[in-house]
Amino acid sequence: MKRHQYLIRKFSWALFTIAFVLVLNFFLFRVLPGDPARSGIHDPRLKKDAIEAIRVRYGLDKPVINCIAKVNPVEFGSCTVNPMETQFFIYVVNLFKGEMGISYHTNRPVSEILAEKIWNTILLIGAGQILAIILGVIFGVFAAWKARTPIDYTALLSSLLAWSLPTFWLGIILLFWGSNQGLPISGKATPGMSTMPWTDQWEDILKHMLLPTLTYTIVFMGEYMLIMRSSLLDVLSEDYILTAKAKGLSTFQILKDHALKNAMLPLVTVIAINLGFTVAGALQIETVFSWPGLGLSIFESVNRRDFPVLQGTFLLIAVSVILANLIADLTYSYLDPRVQAES
Amino acid sequence: MEAQVVEPKAPTTSSPFLDFWKTFSSNRMAVVGLVMLVVIILVAVFAHQIAKYDVTTSADITSKDIYKPPSAENWFGTDDAGKDVFSNFVYGARISLTVGFFAAFISIFIGGLMGIVAGFYGGRVENFLMRFTDVMLVIPDLPLMVVIVAMTKPSLMNIIFVIGLLGWTTTSRIVRSQTLAVKSRKFVLRARAIGAGNWHIVVHHILPLVMPLLVVNAILVISLAILNESTLSFLGLGDPTSLSWGQMLNFAFGRGAMSAGAWWALMVPGLGIVWVVLALTLLGHGLEQVLNPRLETHHLMPGRPVIEEDAKDVHRFKKEDFPVLLEVENLSIHYVTDGKPPARAVENVGFTLHEGELLGLVGESGCGKTTLMLALLRLLPAAGQVVGGKVHFMGDDVTAMSEEELSQVRWNGISIVFQGAMNALNPVRTVGEQIAEAIIKHVALLPGDKVNDRVVELLDLVGIAADHKDHYPHQYSGGMRQRAMIAMALACNPQVVIADEPTTALDVMIQAQILELLDNLRKKLGLSIIFVTHDLGVVAEMCDSVLVMYGGVTAEYSDVDTIYNAPQHPYTQELLKAFPDLSKPDKRLASIPGYPPRLDNLPAGCRFAPRCPQAIERCHTEAPDLHILGKNHVASCHLVEG
Repeated sequence: MKRHQYLIRKFSWALFTIAFVLVLNFFLFRVLPGDPARSGIHDPRLKKDAIEAIRVRYGLDKPVINCIAKVNPVEFGSCTVNPMETQFFIYVVNLFKGEMGISYHTNRPVSEILAEKIWNTILLIGAGQILAIILGVIFGVFAAWKARTPIDYTALLSSLLAWSLPTFWLGIILLFWGSNQGLPISGKATPGMSTMPWTDQWEDILKHMLLPTLTYTIVFMGEYMLIMRSSLLDVLSEDYILTAKAKGLSTFQILKDHALKNAMLPLVTVIAINLGFTVAGALQIETVFSWPGLGLSIFESVNRRDFPVLQGTFLLIAVSVILANLIADLTYSYLDPRVQAES
Repeated sequence: MEAQVVEPKAPTTSSPFLDFWKTFSSNRMAVVGLVMLVVIILVAVFAHQIAKYDVTTSADITSKDIYKPPSAENWFGTDDAGKDVFSNFVYGARISLTVGFFAAFISIFIGGLMGIVAGFYGGRVENFLMRFTDVMLVIPDLPLMVVIVAMTKPSLMNIIFVIGLLGWTTTSRIVRSQTLAVKSRKFVLRARAIGAGNWHIVVHHILPLVMPLLVVNAILVISLAILNESTLSFLGLGDPTSLSWGQMLNFAFGRGAMSAGAWWALMVPGLGIVWVVLALTLLGHGLEQVLNPRLETHHLMPGRPVIEEDAKDVHRFKKEDFPVLLEVENLSIHYVTDGKPPARAVENVGFTLHEGELLGLVGESGCGKTTLMLALLRLLPAAGQVVGGKVHFMGDDVTAMSEEELSQVRWNGISIVFQGAMNALNPVRTVGEQIAEAIIKHVALLPGDKVNDRVVELLDLVGIAADHKDHYPHQYSGGMRQRAMIAMALACNPQVVIADEPTTALDVMIQAQILELLDNLRKKLGLSIIFVTHDLGVVAEMCDSVLVMYGGVTAEYSDVDTIYNAPQHPYTQELLKAFPDLSKPDKRLASIPGYPPRLDNLPAGCRFAPRCPQAIERCHTEAPDLHILGKNHVASCHLVEG
């Protein structure tokens, strides 16, 4: 298969998955009970025109989609309505316009709220992920190189232990420890910092990032180390490593030129598969440290029953993970020349 | 004759379960995990007996009881409601484990069913199910769980179903690929051929083989379910009426344990989760090692030190006109594994290689030929150990060299063409790069374009066009890869090239081309070559001398004419009978019945005795010495004595 065919396949797959998530996200919030706007209109104390006002405001007066007037309970309707007059297509069109509804809680547009928060999450995940990958690779290489020695066993056991820690609990423990050390334990910046020069502002942000990033790194480093170790062990027992050794290359040269790139390939796949866990980890860490990102947004919107924000955050997270997955696939095809030869 | 071949039998035990238990109990990780798991399950089952206080009542609790530190009455202190943390912990184990096991059961049932159906039916069913699995795999499951639980009633039942219904993706993938692998095995095809129904095949043939993997996966799924439950509860989405460990943490964290300094209320439930998940992780990891053992050795492990055993007589083969390049004296190599007797792979083998000489090293597979060749450059795998003898290359003892000196001999002095060039070339680097690398390593200070010229020259030498230089190994054909390996071996103008069965995987035409190429290069470049093969025919055409190995020892060693016209060792004679003789076209080809001996279980006498048509009583009890039969001719056989 040619490279561009591979790329086209990956792109169309990502698009299909995003479409699936759009549909899921739409129906999930209509099938499940619990949305105050929807359950509220059944409140017998409300007057008729008040109910009507709520229905119009949230578009509930329109049919859900062609042929289906309502879900939960399902009520069939006319199939000949103009699709643009149905809730589903209005939702899709609005999404393309970047409109995700209005927060129940703050009355601000959801997209505006999310635009502020996504960068904080990217900052946290980015820093944590980079540290976890670098440390995981380094320790993994050491463990594999020194396989079946005390160094290896220590690394193996500690990574299994790190894997077993609930992320939020590790966060709590570090928060407990950090508060005794005088480190900032909550939020992204000290109040009142916005008037200070930008160097001081960043120093303040970095201090706030320290504990959340440390939590993230510990949780994810273990798994990357395990993958790197086992993948490097596989590579180092390949015949081409023996060839390299026979050529007189030093251990360092063999690791650098013949083993690392080959061993990194499975790691790229695992990083991609793990993106879901990454988000789960960020959700917990942001909640514990009140880091103002998407994870905290999910937590807060759940507690405030702010369903437009919850819906929008979930959609944004899911689409980001799909796109990040696509990037990982493309990276893989760039790293491995054999991708073109696969069927 | 065949009756005398004694195959070593595995010790028989009463049942496969006992066998499994034996390997399982020797894996420390799995045992520790299992014990930890049993302990916490017992705590959960006997919660009523273990807990000191009734956690359902708050009758005697006053505000003074809130966040009391650990004491004799409250081992782990009290919580935000003044209740005993230890008692809560014990009952919490029940809830956390119940949720974990039930949710995992749902996931495994769904995933297993989807995997088996997809793998077994294939086609559109498989396509649809696996696409669906892929989509669900990408959607981050914790946020989705949060959304669903938040919009439904927070009850234990809901949490179990949400975690269970979203946690099946890994199971589905693993079961499907295992089903695919099992489906095409012979016994399944046979069962199908005799008319077994689908249900029968799945239950009796596929499930038993999918089961081990499913169990390992189930352990992972349970631990994830427990982690997910505690996270959901911590986020305030748990069932408020049942105090799981996650719920305890939620209350403690949300209700001032931190500011009250009540570390016990935060530590204890968290350690409970860690305990269970770690137990499952250790068990799963250990089980995987038991079911799928890996050697975990590799080519960069430090080699074993050379040890000297008692020296024996050295037979030197000297041709006066030609200088000696490589001389191997009584080399012995063992493979050492802990707790087992060493495998005596090579014993007392010696030979001499002169300038321009082509030595054929002949023997069946498993006779120690490759081991001997790897030892020449100290490339033995981690278990291999030189236990005696010396390797002299141009007068220097290779067995005593430092790493530094060794790296100069490697490729610069002696290079190797490995068997199976498919795996001997790195798949993610171009062939040109891999050749250039050797030149850069050994030829000092060569400018970049000179290196490039040399690579093109080398490829041209073996008949590969220059534009293939930047291609990857997978873009080469089998024959081209082997020729590229030869070009690489010549990169630094070595004195000796070892060709280790360079033509095994190739078809006959390509084999002939490669052999001709090697022979031409020898004449053109004045190389010395050691040609390892099991094909005496190849040796007849090209070699100057032949070393026949059997079961790790020298059977016979002489010049090519003596070996062909006056072979003394019965093994050489039998090998020659197996080789077609063009002058006697009607003669039947004979093969030697039986197999070479296992190196960890060698016969007491001559290693060839069990298969030897001329064996006498003495051959089964006493190993023969190497007898000198004339100038440059030795054989190890009792029959040639005296």
